[in-house]
Amino acid sequence: MEIKENFHSTYITLMPIGELDANSSVILDERIAQLLETGTVNIHIDGSGISYINSPGLGVVISYVDELAAQGGKFVFSDLSDNVADVFSILGLDRLDHLIIVNDPTEVEAHFSTS
Amino acid sequence: MKAYLKVRCNKAFLSTIRDFVKSRLRDLQVTGPVSHQIVLAVDEACANCMIHQHQCDNTSTIEIAIYREQETLYTEIKDTGKAFPLDEYQPKQVTDIIEQRGKGGLGINLIHRIMDEIKVEEKRDYFVYRLGKHIDPNITPSPSH
Repeated sequence: MEIKENFHSTYITLMPIGELDANSSVILDERIAQLLETGTVNIHIDGSGISYINSPGLGVVISYVDELAAQGGKFVFSDLSDNVADVFSILGLDRLDHLIIVNDPTEVEAHFSTS
Repeated sequence: MKAYLKVRCNKAFLSTIRDFVKSRLRDLQVTGPVSHQIVLAVDEACANCMIHQHQCDNTSTIEIAIYREQETLYTEIKDTGKAFPLDEYQPKQVTDIIEQRGKGGLGINLIHRIMDEIKVEEKRDYFVYRLGKHIDPNITPSPSH
């Protein structure tokens, strides 16, 4: 799995490409850990390249939600496919304060400007 | 008619299992979100067997079967050893999952939230996870299946 990155003034965009499963999710895990170490706590995940996600991939996201929130940050997800968004919904992850899913990618920046 | 797949307990074969389940569901006219959910639940159950029953031992195998009985789509995962009591697990709330930092039980939680029937049948030398999903009765499988 490859992760494309784009730095903005108030957040970073990570765009994983491929399946977020047991084999690949460790790459995302390591990158988020690095960002936290450098104080980057506002993380936008552009999901347009995520073709599949299962529990290891979700586990990576979940494992950082509280830590980001404690440091005043959050996750914002955009451009999720219907199948990936459905998995978040099944677990109720779409109802969390610090894990926001937007349908319109132009809304991403507004969520970070209010952090 | 049941369709079978036998794979080694290597996580690299999970994508093979996902492709097999998706293909077989398509044969049974099950597509869209329901198909994706079943693929995910079977993926999680098989990963659970490979990792926790066999410690990803490449010499061990599991068998997956898919078939339909009236309005329920069944997947069976046949494995050796002692079964995890998958059917007795109580799904957690999302807040509890976050408290535990996403570790442990997330896959089983997904299986319970997706599937309508979960049974564990223990035999002398093996056990079977039987996962059922109720499907739209208007979906008619093609005659060859």
